[in-house]
Amino acid sequence: MTTLVERARPNTYHECARALASASEQKRSIRIIGAGTKSYLGDLVQADVVVETAGLRGIVAHVPGDLTVTVAAGTPLVDLQRSLGEHGQVLPLDPPHGDAATVGGIVAANSAGFRRARYGGVRDLLVGTTTALADGTLAHAGGRVVKNVAGYDMNKLLVGSLGTLGVITECTFKVLPLPAAIAGIRASFSRAADAFAAADAVARTPARPAALVVDGVAGTWQLLVLAEGEASAVERTLAIVADAAAARGSAERDADLERTLGPLRELPAEPEGVLVRASLPPAAQRAFAEGAQRLEGFTRLVADAASGTVRARLLGDDDDMIAGADALLAAARVCGGSARIERRPDRLRARLGSWGDGDLPGLFLMRRLKDAFDPHAVLEPGRGPIR
Amino acid sequence: MTTAVRAGLRGRELVQGLTSLLGASKVLGTREDLILYEYDGAVDTATPDAVVLPNDTADVSAVARFCHEHGVPIVPRGAGTGLSGGAIPVEGGVVVSFARMARILEIDVPNRRAVVQPGLINLHLSTAAAPYGLYFVPDPSSQKACTLGGNVAENSGGPHTLAYGVTTNHVTGLEIVLSDGTVVRLGGKAEDAEGYDLIGAFVGSEGTLGLVTEITVKLTPLPEDKRTILAAFPTMDQASASVSAIIATGLVPAAIELMDQLATQAVEAAVGAGYPLDAGGILLLEVDGLRDGLDDAAARIEAVCREHGATTLRRARNALERDKLWAGRKGAFAAMGRLAPAYYVQDGVIPRTRLPEVLRTVREVSERYGLRIANVFHAGDGNLHPLVLFSDPSELPRVHEAGLEILTACVAAGGSLTGEHGVGMEKNCYMPLQFTPADLAAMRRVKDSFDPAGLANPGKIFPTPSRCREFQLRQATPR
Repeated sequence: MTTLVERARPNTYHECARALASASEQKRSIRIIGAGTKSYLGDLVQADVVVETAGLRGIVAHVPGDLTVTVAAGTPLVDLQRSLGEHGQVLPLDPPHGDAATVGGIVAANSAGFRRARYGGVRDLLVGTTTALADGTLAHAGGRVVKNVAGYDMNKLLVGSLGTLGVITECTFKVLPLPAAIAGIRASFSRAADAFAAADAVARTPARPAALVVDGVAGTWQLLVLAEGEASAVERTLAIVADAAAARGSAERDADLERTLGPLRELPAEPEGVLVRASLPPAAQRAFAEGAQRLEGFTRLVADAASGTVRARLLGDDDDMIAGADALLAAARVCGGSARIERRPDRLRARLGSWGDGDLPGLFLMRRLKDAFDPHAVLEPGRGPIR
Repeated sequence: MTTAVRAGLRGRELVQGLTSLLGASKVLGTREDLILYEYDGAVDTATPDAVVLPNDTADVSAVARFCHEHGVPIVPRGAGTGLSGGAIPVEGGVVVSFARMARILEIDVPNRRAVVQPGLINLHLSTAAAPYGLYFVPDPSSQKACTLGGNVAENSGGPHTLAYGVTTNHVTGLEIVLSDGTVVRLGGKAEDAEGYDLIGAFVGSEGTLGLVTEITVKLTPLPEDKRTILAAFPTMDQASASVSAIIATGLVPAAIELMDQLATQAVEAAVGAGYPLDAGGILLLEVDGLRDGLDDAAARIEAVCREHGATTLRRARNALERDKLWAGRKGAFAAMGRLAPAYYVQDGVIPRTRLPEVLRTVREVSERYGLRIANVFHAGDGNLHPLVLFSDPSELPRVHEAGLEILTACVAAGGSLTGEHGVGMEKNCYMPLQFTPADLAAMRRVKDSFDPAGLANPGKIFPTPSRCREFQLRQATPR
């Protein structure tokens, strides 16, 4: 039997809130779509209503001297960056799917990129939000200033909430002046341990590179470093990287490093493969990578070595991939981190849930929050780990 | 509607109950002891029914369970340096002092993390981490006294948060005790955890969601070098206009602090930092990081200041000179004693381009109320700290009135009631100036999820009918 899916495409924040309230009252489940770039996240089920945010578009306020920008959540990041660029500014987020993803989707999925190394992630840059809630109200949090402790920091709850608490309709971010200089360097190593040791040596200096990435396939491990800032500091950062790499491998400048980094941000799974994303204590990355490369079906690992965000890809026999994924989830947990299955072929959905055993610290508090904001559990069923 | 104290165990019986639970060495209950806990760094006071001094998380959990069972409010207290009455037991009950939970549990150099107890003094962490080339970034002016637990509760900032963020940007793990005694561990040494960012919700919750018993923070590599510049201007307008002009060059300094003439006079008398006494406004600026490029950046800052009429430009030549310049800024609040017996400090935030106009409003308020107001604040963040000076407690209503006018101007300029001092019991009645009923209802859902019984630091953040009625009536009057 096919069910009729209702589509709502609100043009105002209030319209959006009304669409949620009406669906919630009728206990009809809701899926929220920005650009639809991350439909692989979570264990999605068919929803009754699809709310598209594409109609909530445009820059609401930008005073360059304040280094903040307020933008409607359905605005594609590229549009925002283009507009900021005209004023010599940038939102230092370079998330996966950055060519299409909307601002609201990036926040809801906590979709950070490599520049988190220097500028912080979504939670560090987001200073204000307006959110449409399931009861039809609009809730504002934070503001248009860079520092603000009035009331609870509701923004943080929305980052990574995957639409399960409400629909983000507007975001205010800190922005920065475009850096005066950008340069890249890459170093190659034969062992994962050496690449991570070099990354660690750089992270221990005050250089604060814009991106500190380890990219490995069996036998070849690369450290990719992007430096941004004042020209002389950028040069010095490249020298620090070359120094850190010298003992264990070789380094060379790469004028086109940004292009190399692009596809690594999402590390797309082969349609047949499994992609595990882990957040680890920084020093655990090396052992995690060494373990990963010994797994049957290991094909590639990409780490934002500054924040400890690691993606590992597995490919091959179903049983091997499932065993490998389970091993990586467990490895992340025992070292004090956490992990999720970010992508897997449809046929494995039943055997490989997104969230491992789902035993999250503080889960009972998360459930209470979910119940308080979405009492009929209509928002994004199956999307997140709280159920 | 005068007293907010609710039903529940109080007074002598409460002290006896806690004493049998924890032992006499961990409980204070005599009047002489209790009055020492009736104040913090702000102006409001209230005496607790009992004070407990837990040794560990199990003690905290036991106290919370006991309080929950007997309907007793529970209020955490670090060093009592808070500036919004966060540690004041406005509805009575138990104050939990973390004075005996003040240890560094671990400095994890490979992970660049520290695990600490909440009573640890902020500066002690950076001192302990320094031999490893690391430090804890948030540096409130009270950092020689204030505790990490207090920093987490208030989401504290400091002069150096412009480039590197406030407390919430540096916390990766918490152990918390809910008001019913449940112990919950959140996060750890990794940056992200799956599910909702409960740490993000808890940091800055001012003790109203629970008590923090252990904290994991990021440590940051110490900058290789710094350049610290003092720039003196004939007028505040010139000084504040320079702030936006510096940002417009593409530089984001580590700190941009501003001080007016009144503040400068107090600081000079108290600390002798070498600030020019004839200046209308003084900027203290710092750039840090790799050594390379710092001199260029400092020269660019100096050029902008010169264009905006700076009459004195001084660059610290060594660490001693730098420390002296900072001693003036960090000792500024304490120096106010030179000007008046008491002060009331506001903490409003504005978009930084609105600085000149809002500072003019502050001056206008000062003249209209006949109250001296000194300004010493984080100009780069747009975080004002007008210090309203007064002599006698009888002046407090007028002082509050002046403070409210300044805050109203901040909110009207698109800003916030508070940037780092918190709402507490000082500004909870003002929350409706900045937030709609729907905004506050959303926050209330968070409160109720963590603290359904409403015993965690009651009377803070949210407007309370008993204390806020007068203010609400006034706001409802058509103007």
